[in-house]
Amino acid sequence: MNPYSVRVREYFAEAAHAGDVAGGVSVLVDEQDVCLQFSASAEGDRVGAMRFRARACPHVIAAAEAACAALEGRPAADLIEFSARDLMDNLSVPVEKTGRILVLEDAIRALGQQVATDTGP
Amino acid sequence: MTDRSIYLDYAASTPVDGRVWERMREVSELTCANPSSTHAAGRLAQEIIATSTGQLAALLNARADRLVMTSGATESDNLAIAGGARYRAHRGRHLVSMRTEHKAVTDVFEILAKEGFDVTWVDPAANGVLDPAVFEAALRDDTQLASIMFVNNETGVVQDIEALGAICRERDILMHVDAAQAVGKVHIDLATLPVDLMSITAHKFYGPKGVGALYIADRPGCHVEPILYGGGQQRRIRPGTMSTEMIAALGTTASIAAERIDDDLAHLRSMRKALWDGIAGIDGLTLNGDPDGFPGILNVSVAGVEGESLLLALEPLLVATGSACNSKTQEPSYVLRALGRSDAEAQSAIRFSFGRATTLDEVEFAAARYRDAVARLRALAPGAAA
Repeated sequence: MNPYSVRVREYFAEAAHAGDVAGGVSVLVDEQDVCLQFSASAEGDRVGAMRFRARACPHVIAAAEAACAALEGRPAADLIEFSARDLMDNLSVPVEKTGRILVLEDAIRALGQQVATDTGP
Repeated sequence: MTDRSIYLDYAASTPVDGRVWERMREVSELTCANPSSTHAAGRLAQEIIATSTGQLAALLNARADRLVMTSGATESDNLAIAGGARYRAHRGRHLVSMRTEHKAVTDVFEILAKEGFDVTWVDPAANGVLDPAVFEAALRDDTQLASIMFVNNETGVVQDIEALGAICRERDILMHVDAAQAVGKVHIDLATLPVDLMSITAHKFYGPKGVGALYIADRPGCHVEPILYGGGQQRRIRPGTMSTEMIAALGTTASIAAERIDDDLAHLRSMRKALWDGIAGIDGLTLNGDPDGFPGILNVSVAGVEGESLLLALEPLLVATGSACNSKTQEPSYVLRALGRSDAEAQSAIRFSFGRATTLDEVEFAAARYRDAVARLRALAPGAAA
């Protein structure tokens, strides 16, 4: 059985959102074999640029890429309410990788808190 | 070259030589009879089996009547270890093996431990080689069987079977050797090598999957109890209808290997050197194993890279992160952990293994691909320069 869906392979190969957002806020998590960093800038109440860095398995890298692509331009509040459930379905992430994807979910929510703090009154 | 996959996983399995397929087809057309049957067709099957067993015996310089045909190395390992330990249980119940053995060996010892046998696991040095003095120190007056593999399937480390076997002979301990990665690839002379039980499989040296053998030396106290029952074939050691076609395939495989072994070894050495020369300059690279190990395997770890992503980034290379039997698990290789590698080092390990069809172009492409993959994944990681 091929462990990677077509989407995982595409996102892993492209990783178009890999890198850093200069001057943005960032969070770094390192647990469960996942070392993951997200950074983002805010444009008003919306997410401006969003980037990631990862030393992790292909599913996490693909999920990070997909999340960045999906969240750019979205209301910043979406970061705090981010759920990885749809990502897991869309990428066909195997159940044994759930813990790693939840690390990603927590990182994005933490990023949302950072953005809110940075742009708050 | 990138449009097609490049097979560098010969330690997991090899392609079947065309002459072996031809021999299997020929035999299947010659006779469909059960080799236990006494009619003419059955006797022909018996003759084919005798000829084929003789071909394997010739490769190993062993007596043909000391070879028991099996379904492969896993069955041979089970028969040798469980059968040997149980046969000698009235003399003592202490057994010795090494932490870097294949699961087909370690799992049998785990079963025997539940039956009341006492198992001592010896550790190799950091290069994977077992010091005979360490091995000897683990032996006791009640030790009855030891099992040490010839060529390690993950690292290619070659053990000093002659020295280890001599220690066992002095103490009348059964010495079993899992030679799945060695037979047909390195010279083995069972007329002089002090080995009592040796496991053999065809598919690691260009034969089909599903056939192997167990060598049982002809000396007092060297015997195994069967682990299968029902029928008197093969002196009741391994009952069951013998597969004429598969045994013929194993014989032909052995015959071809006997002709090619020196050329094969020279080819493998050049392939391994070319790959090592192509990647040795990578910062943070570690060789897992012994530089003087079997040249068909090169196992390396690299710092700062996650192993599963490395494996995917290496496509179209077909390589292994650990033994094929373990590759579906997320656990770092227990073999590499036994060599003192950290979880992260073991998890980033890639095993390249070469074969007769491997070309220099393929190896040079593999080296370039490995360099690029490591560089890309390091650039992707937190802390990398933007």
